[in-house]
Amino acid sequence: MYNDETVELTPEERNALASLPREMNPGDLLEARVVRALRNEGHFGVAVPRRNGLSLAWKIAAGLALFAGGVATGRYALTSDVPQSASISAPASQNRDAQILTPRTEPRPVRHNETVVAEREMWL
Amino acid sequence: MELQLEPVPTYEKPAASSDSALIAAAISGAEPAFRELFRRHTPHLLQFVTRVLGASRADAEDVVQDTWLRAYPALVTFRSESSFSTWLCSVGLRAALDSMRKGKRHVAESLFEEDASSDPPATEDRVDIEGAIAQLAPGYRMVLVLHDVEGFTHEEIALQLGIAPGTSKAQLFKARRVMRALLTGREKTDVQ
Repeated sequence: MYNDETVELTPEERNALASLPREMNPGDLLEARVVRALRNEGHFGVAVPRRNGLSLAWKIAAGLALFAGGVATGRYALTSDVPQSASISAPASQNRDAQILTPRTEPRPVRHNETVVAEREMWL
Repeated sequence: MELQLEPVPTYEKPAASSDSALIAAAISGAEPAFRELFRRHTPHLLQFVTRVLGASRADAEDVVQDTWLRAYPALVTFRSESSFSTWLCSVGLRAALDSMRKGKRHVAESLFEEDASSDPPATEDRVDIEGAIAQLAPGYRMVLVLHDVEGFTHEEIALQLGIAPGTSKAQLFKARRVMRALLTGREKTDVQ
């Protein structure tokens, strides 16, 4: 294996190793570089959004109010009279064509939803 | 969005503080405490990394920066069982190893192969001990610096480098032989 006598350090070698410098001046640039790198990683008093409890509550309330308003508007639109809204939004020329194409016959009894479906298909 | 700076923790009299106090303040985000810690320990770290790598100062500074970037978030894990300097050098050693393994230093993939040549470089000029260390193969140099310069035990070296203690001993013996050959001149020493 290994002969310890041949690999033991001589006193001169020990002295030489002991006399090696233990420190090296890093300079200011390295310090600035390291601190900047740490800041970039989010350390040392980085600007963070401070949450104000009151304003956050107002924002949540406003969001809920907007949502509720949207839901109410949607419900109203679905439950309102569709033919009425269609006649309001339909162009006048189309209304005229529709009147022309409609056969002038005696109204026949229809099922409850039949007219609504037909008018929806016409305008939507 | 309203942005405000978090209050920076107060910190006073850095020069008189112990490492533990500096570490605690640095963990809480006190930049002056970190700077003091940096100034106190980086000179040794930079010398250690330069010697272990056998590298230029620029390469060593890159590794030192990497070392602090690893060490700062890990400060909370530091226990005072060893000195902070020793702990920091351990972090620096891992950073140096990673740097070498990434190929930045163009070294062999395995630093500690048993069949690595123990021949010194082909020169008959005497060199000083710093030059001799720098000329060692990376695996030899690392073990020799850790053991003979920094005072680590073979068990500690084995733990740090992920090798067996016997491998550390073998590497050290070979490193000493090569270093001796370089110091005395190759023709005066039988290294075979």
